[in-house]
Amino acid sequence: MDVDSTLPAVRSGMRVASRQTGHHTENALIGWILVVGLTLLGFVLLSVGSPAGAPGWPRLLFLALGVAGVLAYGVWVFPYFRRLERRLPEGEERWARLEGELIAAFDQLGAGDLVRSIEKTRGLPERLAKISEAASESLSQLAQQIQDSSIEVASAADAVNEIASELASGSSEQAASVVEITAAMEELARTASQIAENASRQAELASRAEASGDAGSAAVFEAVTGVEEVQKRISAIASRADALGTRSKEIYRVLDLITEIAQETHILSLNAAIEAAAAGADGRRFSVVAEEVRHLAQRSQESVESVRNLLDEFSGSIRATIVATEEGSKEASRVLERSRAAAEAIEDLRRASGDTSRVARQISLATQQQNAASDEVVMTLREVSLVVQRMTGGLKNLSSTADRLNTLGLEIQLLAQSFHLASPRSLKHLVEEWARRLEAAPGEAEKGQALDEMVATAPFVELGYVSRLDGTTPLLSFNKDLLNERQRALANKVHETDVRTRPWFKSVSRHWRTTLIPPYESMQSSEACFTVCTPVRDAAGTITAVLGIDINVTGWTRI
Amino acid sequence: MDTVPVEENGKSRREGTHLLVRAGEYACALPLASVRRVVRALTVHPLPGATAELEGLAEFGGEPLPVLNLGRLVHAPAGPNPTYPVTVVVWVGPAEAREMLGLAADSALEVVHVPAGSVVAGDGGFLLGEAPVGGEVVRVLNLEALGRAT
Repeated sequence: MDVDSTLPAVRSGMRVASRQTGHHTENALIGWILVVGLTLLGFVLLSVGSPAGAPGWPRLLFLALGVAGVLAYGVWVFPYFRRLERRLPEGEERWARLEGELIAAFDQLGAGDLVRSIEKTRGLPERLAKISEAASESLSQLAQQIQDSSIEVASAADAVNEIASELASGSSEQAASVVEITAAMEELARTASQIAENASRQAELASRAEASGDAGSAAVFEAVTGVEEVQKRISAIASRADALGTRSKEIYRVLDLITEIAQETHILSLNAAIEAAAAGADGRRFSVVAEEVRHLAQRSQESVESVRNLLDEFSGSIRATIVATEEGSKEASRVLERSRAAAEAIEDLRRASGDTSRVARQISLATQQQNAASDEVVMTLREVSLVVQRMTGGLKNLSSTADRLNTLGLEIQLLAQSFHLASPRSLKHLVEEWARRLEAAPGEAEKGQALDEMVATAPFVELGYVSRLDGTTPLLSFNKDLLNERQRALANKVHETDVRTRPWFKSVSRHWRTTLIPPYESMQSSEACFTVCTPVRDAAGTITAVLGIDINVTGWTRI
Repeated sequence: MDTVPVEENGKSRREGTHLLVRAGEYACALPLASVRRVVRALTVHPLPGATAELEGLAEFGGEPLPVLNLGRLVHAPAGPNPTYPVTVVVWVGPAEAREMLGLAADSALEVVHVPAGSVVAGDGGFLLGEAPVGGEVVRVLNLEALGRAT
């Protein structure tokens, strides 16, 4: 509703009505004259127009009715108009009062003060007051609902923004992870390809090894057979050498016997020589024979020694042969054992090569399948990467939208806060309540204490301050939860400032009404902030100061 | 080794003829006239309380025969183990009261002739002297003196 254009129209209508009411007496007189004239005129016309011989009672009846009407008009209508004219000043005064109250109510309504708007309508007629009050209540409820909803919208948007930011961050990380996984899968696919190639080569090599194992197994089998034959022959040689050794012992015994015989012969020859010597000349020839016998025995002994020496060498050779054949037999056994072990190992190797060949072929096949699967996974991962990237973009857009929604919610909140509602959520209501408490405090100290207490109960208020009209600020209270030491030091600079140059002071001093200043960046906390300020009056109702509170937007939306 | 020459004069030859035996490191020449028999080493039964030179008693021809160790008699250093030890049965003491005795030697070598002039005088007793035989110095023993000593 355009209050500025409507109120003058109402005032004009009321004045016109007042002027018309002042001419009521004249109009009543004119009406009475007209009734008399019309009655007489009717009587004359009836008299003239009546035919001769017509009865005269209709004319007389008309005349009598006309006289009765004139008399009735003079008795009832005229006095009514006279009374109405006498009550006219009282009505004008009442209309003026109503006009003032209506203007004041609309003025408060125009300023957004729905509380005072309702208060101002209490002097209006009951119906009008009820209608006005109902309209203000409806508007108040609407504004209250808008305030609540805007806070919820801002909070929800903030939460959505936070979640979307986290999701966007997570999606970015996920996208990076998907890229890494894709690269890893590509590397895995390449590796699988190499493995398949290597497995094929391994299968080929294993097949060759299996063939070689077959050949080796056959060769080792032949070698084992040959070694067994050699062992048999060595055993035969050993047996024969052993037999030779036995024979050599027999020869030794024979030699010992011959030696003994030779010794005996030697002794016998010596005894013969002794006997020959005892026989004197007769035994001379015998002594010669004895000497020959001794020589023979000596040669026999020398021959035996030669034979013994040869037999020693022969026996040594036989022993060496036996030892060699035993060692050869042992070595052949070892070779045979090793050859058999080698044959078993080659057989195992051949089987292992066969198994390896089969497994390598299976590995090659599996890795080829794995390679194909890896390619599909890589393709899928690329699609996933695109989806994740799109999702990340969407989440960033969502975050941006939520941010805009948050801003919009705050703007709506600020618009809604431009209404003064009888609600604890109405900041104008709050600051006026605080102003009333300050006005009720007797001295500066009590006012300061009250301000501290009030700021302490409002966690969304960064600063509360009372500035006088001369621009000084005697009272300043901090919210210690929102401002640190450095920020408080910054805030204290307000004592050195003439606040009359500040926008909030200019704004509130323009109409001396409770005012809400649009958001700005707090000089102290560097966060979004807005100010609500209201005049403070003394006991006589004179404005002496301005109370301002700086509202932290984040804290306020949390509330 | 100087073998026994066949001499015209049997007596003179007999007087210079010796049986050469080995006892330890020494070669000893026993007068052939005093030698009764050479036999394979007899089984000796030691006698309690006997001297070191007396190995014991053996049985020879059904009679007990004292056996002396020749190496100990001539104080010969011990030689290698004998492969064929012998016991030389000899007559000791003067001709009128000779006794038969066994001398244990490592081996009996041969019958040699030791000229009397080649014998370098010894102690005049059991060891008559030393004489070179076949490039080796042999100890010439006097078995009659051995009979007097025993």
